Amino acid sequence: MAASTDIRTQTAENENRVLRFWTPILLRTILTVAAVILIFGLILMTSKPDLYVARFRAAQAHHFADKESFPELVALAARGDPHSVMTLGLYVLTLVPLARVAFSFLLFIRERDYAYVAFTAYVLMGLILGMLLGSIG
Amino acid sequence: MLEILGGLLALSFGAGLVGSLSGLGGGVFIVPALVIAAHMPMTVAVGASLISVVATSAGASVAFVRDGWTNLKVAMVLECATVTGAVVGALLAGMIPALVLEVLFALMMLQSAYFTLSKQDDVLIEHGDPLARRLQLVGDVPDAAGNPTHYETVNLAAGGSLMIVAGLMSGLLGIGSGALKVIAMDYYMHIPLKVSSATSNFMIGVTAGAGALVFLARGDVSTAIAAPVALGVTAGALLGSRMLPHANVHVLRLVFVVILVLIAIEMGWRAFQGI
Repeated sequence: MAASTDIRTQTAENENRVLRFWTPILLRTILTVAAVILIFGLILMTSKPDLYVARFRAAQAHHFADKESFPELVALAARGDPHSVMTLGLYVLTLVPLARVAFSFLLFIRERDYAYVAFTAYVLMGLILGMLLGSIG
Repeated sequence: MLEILGGLLALSFGAGLVGSLSGLGGGVFIVPALVIAAHMPMTVAVGASLISVVATSAGASVAFVRDGWTNLKVAMVLECATVTGAVVGALLAGMIPALVLEVLFALMMLQSAYFTLSKQDDVLIEHGDPLARRLQLVGDVPDAAGNPTHYETVNLAAGGSLMIVAGLMSGLLGIGSGALKVIAMDYYMHIPLKVSSATSNFMIGVTAGAGALVFLARGDVSTAIAAPVALGVTAGALLGSRMLPHANVHVLRLVFVVILVLIAIEMGWRAFQGI
């Protein structure tokens, strides 16, 4: 009993150490990439001021349809469309929680900590389900 | 264009700064700022806010996780509850009338104001309940002299239930629901306040992320609004977190309570006019 508790404590300490080292790196990297893409998109947008004002007014009137498929979005962004570049930046930003939960999930599999594999798998499914339900709804 | 963009950046920078200094997060302030000052519909404000909350949570979590304030295991267990609430809330947000959302928002503001005024000292538990011990929901926190003090947790079911409500409010209203999360951990589970705040901040990323993904996938996020708001709120929050150690917390608390009550009255009045 005492031995199994010791092993569990040791596993928990090891998991905590890895998570405390890698999670901040993961968060900072994705956040920086997203910020760079968003700032780049805003700079591009200054070349099309009328488009921005039109989009702003459309948002005020709640008449906008920013719903391109992901491949369309990437293709448009690659052609330098400022609106698509910014939308891509927003997608990268929302990847932050997804990436850090996925990282924890993989770590818990490696450590064979099945209770936490189940918790993180549930959260991952929730995030993915949210995206799918949003696409359908 | 530059006037609009500058205005949005300034508005969101201010919301991020005040949100960070008050510990309530930028979402509580950016939604009313967009609705009242920029004349945005509630759904547009909520979508932009959810994305900015993801950014501020990630930014602040870098230091909190590295320095050991965040209890990662507590966060991962309770995220199961918040993500469930957040997805349901975000799906309902498109169906619930703006009037109801504005009333709910006003009530959440008043709850945050009450919470800010009634923060109390920690009551640490040395022996947690069996489930919490089995899941290793324990940790150490420095006492006044800087020595590590061990704490354990209790009432996981009660804390988890309140987390579902916090997630629901987050998905519906575009806020981090930080105050509710801290109450669940600090008051019900007896986790030290600073650890509760850091862990709540960490969890907010997933709660808001779940809601933001629903909004993005549904096409309910206006990029023209959300992009500058995310940048402005993040910059404001980063400055706020640097200013916080030098600020007079008691004065700040009172100022924020007044701001929250005023916003609650304004949002409630808008809802009343809409009836």
